[in-house]
Amino acid sequence: MNILHNASRRLFLRQSAAVASVVGSAAPLALNLAAMGSAAAQAAGDYRAIVCLFLYGGNDSFNMVLPTDAASWSAYTATRSQAPDPIALLAAGTTANPAAAAGSPARLGGILPISPLNPQGRSYALHPLLGSVQQLFDADKRLAILPNVGPLIMPTSKAQYAQDTFPKPLRLFSHNDQQNTWQALGPEGTTRGWGGRIGDLLAASNSRALFTAITAGGNAVFLDGDVVRQYGVSTTGAVPLGVDTAGRVYGSADVGTALQRLVTSTRTSHPFDADLAGVAQRAISAEQVLRTALRAPSDPLFGTAPASGAYNAANDPKLRYVNPLTGLDAANSLAQQLQVVARLVDAGMRGASGASRQVFFVSLGGFDTHDFQNRNQAVLMAQLAQALRYFDTTLAGLGALSLVTTFTASDFGRTFTSNGDGTDHGWGSHHFVMGGAVKGGDLYGSFPVLGLKNASNSNFDSSPDQLGNGSLLPKTSVDQLGATLASWFGISATDTLAIFPNLANFPGAQRNLGFLA
Amino acid sequence: MFDDKAPPEPSAFRWLTGLACAALLAACGGGGSSASDAQPTALALQAEKVAAVAAAPSNRPATRNEAARFLTQATFGPSDYDIEVVMKLGYGAWIDRQFSLPATSHRAYWEAADAAIKSANPASSGANQDQLWESFWGQAVNGQDQLRLRVAYALSQIFVISAVDGNVGNQPRALAHWLDMLGDKGFTTYRELLESVGLHPLMGIYLSWLKNQKADLVTGRIPDQNFARESMQLFSIGVVRLNPDGTQDLSTGKAVETYSPSDIAGLSRVYTGYSWACGARNASCFLNGSTGGVVDPDRYIKPMVPYPQYHSTEAKAFLGASIPAQTTPDPAGDLKIAFDTLAAHPNTAPFISQQLIQRLVTSNPSATYVRDVAAVFANNGSGVRGDLKAVIKAILTHPEARLQSNAQGKLREPVLRLSAYLRAFPHKSDTGSFRVGNTDAVATSLGQTPLRSPSVFNFYRPGYVPPGTATAAAGLVAPEMQLVNETSISGWVNYMRDNIASGVGQSNGTVNGVALNRRDLQRDWSAQLALASSPAELVKSVTDRLLYGLASDDLRSLISGAVAKITIPALNAAGTNQAAIDAAKRARVNAAVLLTLASPEFLIQK
Repeated sequence: MNILHNASRRLFLRQSAAVASVVGSAAPLALNLAAMGSAAAQAAGDYRAIVCLFLYGGNDSFNMVLPTDAASWSAYTATRSQAPDPIALLAAGTTANPAAAAGSPARLGGILPISPLNPQGRSYALHPLLGSVQQLFDADKRLAILPNVGPLIMPTSKAQYAQDTFPKPLRLFSHNDQQNTWQALGPEGTTRGWGGRIGDLLAASNSRALFTAITAGGNAVFLDGDVVRQYGVSTTGAVPLGVDTAGRVYGSADVGTALQRLVTSTRTSHPFDADLAGVAQRAISAEQVLRTALRAPSDPLFGTAPASGAYNAANDPKLRYVNPLTGLDAANSLAQQLQVVARLVDAGMRGASGASRQVFFVSLGGFDTHDFQNRNQAVLMAQLAQALRYFDTTLAGLGALSLVTTFTASDFGRTFTSNGDGTDHGWGSHHFVMGGAVKGGDLYGSFPVLGLKNASNSNFDSSPDQLGNGSLLPKTSVDQLGATLASWFGISATDTLAIFPNLANFPGAQRNLGFLA
Repeated sequence: MFDDKAPPEPSAFRWLTGLACAALLAACGGGGSSASDAQPTALALQAEKVAAVAAAPSNRPATRNEAARFLTQATFGPSDYDIEVVMKLGYGAWIDRQFSLPATSHRAYWEAADAAIKSANPASSGANQDQLWESFWGQAVNGQDQLRLRVAYALSQIFVISAVDGNVGNQPRALAHWLDMLGDKGFTTYRELLESVGLHPLMGIYLSWLKNQKADLVTGRIPDQNFARESMQLFSIGVVRLNPDGTQDLSTGKAVETYSPSDIAGLSRVYTGYSWACGARNASCFLNGSTGGVVDPDRYIKPMVPYPQYHSTEAKAFLGASIPAQTTPDPAGDLKIAFDTLAAHPNTAPFISQQLIQRLVTSNPSATYVRDVAAVFANNGSGVRGDLKAVIKAILTHPEARLQSNAQGKLREPVLRLSAYLRAFPHKSDTGSFRVGNTDAVATSLGQTPLRSPSVFNFYRPGYVPPGTATAAAGLVAPEMQLVNETSISGWVNYMRDNIASGVGQSNGTVNGVALNRRDLQRDWSAQLALASSPAELVKSVTDRLLYGLASDDLRSLISGAVAKITIPALNAAGTNQAAIDAAKRARVNAAVLLTLASPEFLIQK
């Protein structure tokens, strides 16, 4: 299946020619890939970006968004109050007990109520440390909740799930495979991510295609398309390759030139050589542009200028969160990633980077809370809350709120049951979408019924939405989530169906979840 | 080429002589003499005689470059000394002798460092992870038992625990013990290794099966499934059925999954009721590792022990094994069945063999290579399954390991790049501690620290294919490429640029009363500086050392051309510009080394 537009094919040929002129020969460098102009550049001010915020490890969304109607709450507290370390959070309004163990539900205090516009006849709340999310949802209306999302081949009932022959995603419950499925719609070994494939269709409208898909959160298959390759940026911005600002190494411009020629060219036919040279070429090209295109991280738009000495993101109060276990503030790696994303958004909006359609990837790890869940998830929720608030505030300062849509993703949800101090691998989970274009303050998708386990086993016959150990059977597919974002990004319905192979299995009216204006 | 070879330390002479005894029993009186008895003076002659007997021609490197290439696979990088030894002994005898060399304890190093720190400053909390990296790097660079160390490092990327997890990272002494364990058990059998890995408290913590409890059928608590899943997916059989040559079994027309959620549930019941070594087997010991206020100070390194009262008595079915419901819980018996089942599974031989080949030799072994090694795994010739020494030897002596082609080789991971540099160009540690430190930072360091993988899935996956690349088009995998991106490729060059100019590792202020204010690892570059006036000679010397003959003329001329453009001023009449002359020479040396280390030719171990 080839979904490339003519424009993308031209882009591909253009890029291939440029790379061929560098890689595979020791000819003088042609460091102009990123600088190549294009008449197709979109009008200034026409800018949009999608940000994937991946929660590595499988977030326990049962403790992130909680239904608080009587039946749900009763099932929740009964199921999750297991010795030795109960993971049931406490009811809204419960006063935090400063004497309780760090990270424990009692220490955190009650969950935070939220008021969806269409509550589906139920009531809801958030993890006690998601205060900023509560405000983004209720007051700012720039954050929506997508209940019970996960990979699906087609709408699947519990009875259908039980059928061996019914089509289901491969290797459910496995970290690497489900990370890959969220990002690329297939298990490990699937190498085209839907963020990258969206980028394939839009890269031609970027005068510098190199900046179409950018990760600040580590290599991620999400961003690799048929043509588009991800660019890995440091949280500090683009890192020069070996040379100083004058192009010198050890004081010598000749050595600097030789270095850059050496790393961008090959002298053997080993395919690894060519690939390394390609990455080096991109590193050098990107840095040449970004060194001037990006505004400084200490600019008040993005950070805090230090009283003295060099800027260090780890010490920037805008990029620090309060660790709930220690009560002390600490550097927030997720906020650091979002800072460089914000700087790239700013450059894109100003036309300085030559990219008006961008897909970003940031990540936070540690969500595989098999044990110590109370402590570990508390820290992660605090980081997530601070980072989302920072990003929203920063985008507001740039006038970019409605131009950037951020969504969370994760390997999978977890079991509803507890193993004593944590949870195991599940499937469906709740997620956030955030941005000025998001019709916030509401739920998109039906919130699952939380039931009680059977008397004799750990199945959940009391709920149509829960499988063994109470894992969620998703009601909304990753394809639907992605298609909604793609549509907002300007991808046609036909192309969207090609990018998301399972989308056609869902009724036409459900292919756009409607959370974006 | 070997211009600045440091003389081997006396201890090294002793072991090499001992090696000669082992290989040529008659000459040493039937092997009765101890290694330390022999005099080093007779070393060279004796070793050459040994080599003639011990190594058939096909089992010997024809050139020093071939020996260096072998050592790149089998060690942390070729050193002058090991090249000499391999040349004299041949591959097989070198491997055999490595098997017999004693290990040096990382734990003992860490404990001594801890004691020294506390002695110097009683208020200090003592040693931390830094001292573990000191021991790792000190041994990686200078250890004699290179094969053991290198295999242990490879195993640490198959059986993964990570200090990134604070509950593991806060136990640096136990991490040191973990490395010792991998070095020790890496030369036993797979089954023995699996048990030591599985019962290590750090694995119990990392994959959360320490103090895992049986189900509570009333409340709905279930056993933790973490170790059940990963012990199958990552440590033994993998997710799909394999042929004996490591390819997927597609005989039914599609890949067949090796286990299902029910196998995981069954195995998770086995993995219940294990917890801390402790003075009793009571609830306090199980949950907290203490009884009567007493904890075992070695509870983080002693194997976990069974607590029958917490062990599931339900029926347990997994991978075709079936344990009936029990009236008396039998955690140890059940665990034996589980580990036996994993070790005996037909997937385990190709699954583990292929990954070991990938860690040591090549990312893309042929089916024949995997089949041959897996066959040795299945049976070492004496009916022993999983004999890891036989497997390692089969990997390193296989014709495909000795062959060089463009489908072969692997990207050097950042840790092995630095170790190769430090072994090619020996450094001296000002403190004697090898203070390399944490090397996590991607933009300014290696982007990789031993035992600090981001998850149990290691730094990279064995089947990783970088999308849209020449590698992908060639149908190859490149696991280590998962760490490569625009930031890390620049970070490597920048890190080494500064390492070459300023030394490696953490900075010291005053050491033993001397104000040094420089990085811990320093090198005397005088041998290279002596060649600085002749760029071609300098570059040949440097590339020979790092690339063992694989540097093309193009690469050398490119580097030489750049080096030559750094002008060395003539000494002026007053003789006042010597510093400028010295600086220019040093810049030439620096440039020659950096350009070589930055080249794709170095980054790929072919």
